[in-house]
Amino acid sequence: MRSGLQENSVAQRSFVDLDHWMERYQQADPAAPATLIAALSPALLCFFRSQQANREHADDLLQDTWLRIHRVRHTYRPGEPVLPWVYAIARRAGVDGYRKTRRIAAHEIAMEALPARFAQSEPPNGLPAFEDLVAALPEAQQEVITMLKVGGLSLEEVARATSSTVGAVKQKAHRAYERLRKLLHTYAEDNVAGGAP
Amino acid sequence: MNCRDMNHALIGRSMASPLPSEAEDHLRTCARCRLLAGALRLPVAEARPSPASLRRIETGIAAGLRPVHPMGSKNCLLAAFVATFIATVALSVYRMGAFAIAVMTPLQTSLTLGSLAVGTGLLAYSLVNQMVPGSRHRISPRLLPLGAAISLVIVIAVLFHFQHERNFWAKSWACIRAGMPIGALAAVPLWFVLRRGTILWPTMTGAATGLLAGLAGATALEIHCPNLEACHILVGHLGVAALGAVTGLLIGVAAERGLPGRRLNDSDY
Repeated sequence: MRSGLQENSVAQRSFVDLDHWMERYQQADPAAPATLIAALSPALLCFFRSQQANREHADDLLQDTWLRIHRVRHTYRPGEPVLPWVYAIARRAGVDGYRKTRRIAAHEIAMEALPARFAQSEPPNGLPAFEDLVAALPEAQQEVITMLKVGGLSLEEVARATSSTVGAVKQKAHRAYERLRKLLHTYAEDNVAGGAP
Repeated sequence: MNCRDMNHALIGRSMASPLPSEAEDHLRTCARCRLLAGALRLPVAEARPSPASLRRIETGIAAGLRPVHPMGSKNCLLAAFVATFIATVALSVYRMGAFAIAVMTPLQTSLTLGSLAVGTGLLAYSLVNQMVPGSRHRISPRLLPLGAAISLVIVIAVLFHFQHERNFWAKSWACIRAGMPIGALAAVPLWFVLRRGTILWPTMTGAATGLLAGLAGATALEIHCPNLEACHILVGHLGVAALGAVTGLLIGVAAERGLPGRRLNDSDY
């Protein structure tokens, strides 16, 4: 485990030259794909895991995303930010993956309560893990919070990646925080009542 | 500072950057916000793709790596959409005649055609952005087709009179039958322009493209048909745009259902 702060700052540093590498990828520079894959895959995998919580499926989605990126690499415009472009494609791959999974396993997860597996993945400070917290949010809020925190995207970049406006992204994040606040409060009260850590 | 202000302080702020002093003060007094801020600062589980998986992706891409030309500029694509629209309308009006211009007042002509032009421009611009993943949308592409359609209905309802008309359905149907082929004619080149980009959300893009093609038919009818009864225009002329949007939407739904998630194979590169 690495701290979220470290994870984000590392991600931010490595994103600096992405547009340059993306241009070289379009020019068929053999070093470009490896650099982009190494820089972006961990964050993308984290993005998928926070939505799907299934390593095997997240790996498949990561591969599918790179396949799509490779197919549509001509649609990246030099000078434009790379992250929204990549996350927009990843988001589509995630939706297709989710629909495929839903068709296979048609069961529902109650969103009003924190998932039962909270107790198994608690970090030492007594709070549930970030992945579990996010899993309790509706899909649209999940992806906004994950992109902001795990992907290190700005509000403007999240808006671009989700084909939305900055105002709509702010609203989703606000609602997500409200919901998390309630869930965490209930969780803390339950822990006090139950004598849990 | 209250909990709502705290949300604003947390949104859009990197987790590494310190909170403003007012927010820190609020955290000392509000247990709920303290829990939330603590949870957002929690470690994120490290996600490392397996080396085998990364190697597989890299090898596959490197084996089939070819140079590609980036897409044309947004202005070029926008010009292509607008030129398609204008050419289709001009050709249709040339064939059918511009009888409505003679009977409409200058105010009706300018406002009706002006609002059709604005709707067309906004839809074309939205489609250009939808072709490129990660583009900035100033207006939500999900709401734009609906907003454009409602605006046009309001403009027509305000500018033209509602009055009883004989053979209303027969006349409206005649206009729809004349307008639909024009929409179909516009849809073909629009589709070829769209194919230069990537369509991530076929339903949304389909509805917008269908509406744009339908508006070409509606505009041609608006210039051609001298019937100025408001109901006739709404049903017979804008109905073409509505039918175009529904058709595009249905094609998008069909395309979306036919997009299976696939595993990466070497042959895909």
